[in-house]
Amino acid sequence: MAGNFWDRYAREASVCHRLPTGLKLALTLTVILVGCFVPVEHWPVHVMLLSVVFAGQSLAGIPLAYLVRRLALFLPMLLILSLSLPLSHGGEAGWRMASTILLRGVLAFTTMLWLVNVTTTDVLLVTLRRYGMPGIVVATLAFMYRYLFLVWDERDRMIQARQARTFGKPTIDQRWKSGTQLIGMLLVRSLTRAERIYGAMCARGWNGTVHHWEPDADSPPSSERKAGSSDAR
Amino acid sequence: MRIRRRLQNGKRVHPMPVDETPSGSTPPVDETATGDVSPADSPIAESAPAESPWAIQVRQLNFVYPGGRPALNDLTFDVRVGEIVAIVGPSGAGKSTLLMHFNGLLPSEIPRRSDRAAASVSIAGIPVVRENLPDIRRRVGFLFQDPDDQLFCPTVGEDVAFGPLNLGCSQTEATARVIESLTAVNLADAISRSTLQLSMGERKRVCLAGVLACRPEILALDEPFSNLDPRARRNLLDCLRRFNGTLVLTTHDLDVVVEFCTRVVVLDNGRLHADGPPAEILANPALMQRHGLEIPFRLRT
Repeated sequence: MAGNFWDRYAREASVCHRLPTGLKLALTLTVILVGCFVPVEHWPVHVMLLSVVFAGQSLAGIPLAYLVRRLALFLPMLLILSLSLPLSHGGEAGWRMASTILLRGVLAFTTMLWLVNVTTTDVLLVTLRRYGMPGIVVATLAFMYRYLFLVWDERDRMIQARQARTFGKPTIDQRWKSGTQLIGMLLVRSLTRAERIYGAMCARGWNGTVHHWEPDADSPPSSERKAGSSDAR
Repeated sequence: MRIRRRLQNGKRVHPMPVDETPSGSTPPVDETATGDVSPADSPIAESAPAESPWAIQVRQLNFVYPGGRPALNDLTFDVRVGEIVAIVGPSGAGKSTLLMHFNGLLPSEIPRRSDRAAASVSIAGIPVVRENLPDIRRRVGFLFQDPDDQLFCPTVGEDVAFGPLNLGCSQTEATARVIESLTAVNLADAISRSTLQLSMGERKRVCLAGVLACRPEILALDEPFSNLDPRARRNLLDCLRRFNGTLVLTTHDLDVVVEFCTRVVVLDNGRLHADGPPAEILANPALMQRHGLEIPFRLRT
């Protein structure tokens, strides 16, 4: 997984990128909350909110293809969840709940996608912290952002290693077996890595309290952040 | 046990602990070490500061991994302040395990002060017991083999600031240390970069900056030169040369040991088999072969 998988366009300089992070957070929360509280019968409001979000994506220079690809990853999960409701709740009520989940899910997802692509993750985390989000939650999000890519890379390497030793077309049974083994191994490796990370934190004096660095004027502002070097992973 | 102080040219040199034996008798030598340069017979490295105080003292250290695999077996050795010591040996010899004891990362159940006798490792005379861990970790900086284990913050600056903030530094002081440490590893312009966007060499140097920011007296480096190309290795080596303190590192790069270290310790199967100046120890073909090592290129005639 590329290191900029979910915030590929966060380092651009459009009008959306230049907005204060607090304002961007407030706009995102407003759109999501309005979408959540407006009943599905008032679907024109949802359509209007979606239009606003798409306009924001265009202003930020986020390509439509990127948006479609991300939606293609998210929609299957949302569809499985929403389409199971007519089966469990039956008829009209089930379909109503399904359409509500689908509509609100798409709205929330596209809005969040806009936010993470107009603000770098570290700036977002610092802002969340500044607005009172508990330190442990911010730290957990930061860890997730840091290690999700590493775990995914590890998964890619394991799949490559498996493919290198796969001769012929595996049967569904074999695929299922190797897939479950891969997930199991990934879990074990993640746990061992977590132990090593904990050791690394302890080695630098961590005692359970999460501290956040707030660089003063001596440090260059985040907006001056540079892209990775040519030899970056 | 007593500490036997050896004399060389009339000067007190590296004291090695030996079991109580009658005066003049040879200390017992482990069978596996037969023919090796035993610790008691090894000379001290020429450049080692013989009169400087102890930085690290290890006494009869034993360690068994969960599952019963012994990793360290009755290990005893010392490091003086200012020494640059390389711990070499085959994979699985116990090098990293030994290094982790210096920072109190192992054993998982660190003895309490009340059980002070159980402490086998002392740092600057302070036993590694649970109550002393904050002080020990302030004194000993540990660099992990895999930089991804150590770089857990989103940006370089935040990661380097992690240690100083844990030590109780103010934001201003932490920022000053971040800039100072990143400058020391020639990465001052990387302060705002994402830790995901660094090459392996840069990641290693950022890790080193994170350790240096805690201003340790001792650096324990676990295979710092692994997975580095020659230029990155040279850059890291240059950074390490500027460190003013005691340095203990594990490595398979024996040419670097000859060039950089003042003393080398050969570890195999959790036992210490040789201890002395790199040019002497690493040029011993029988010893090298016995412990799965090769004579470094610069010592080959």
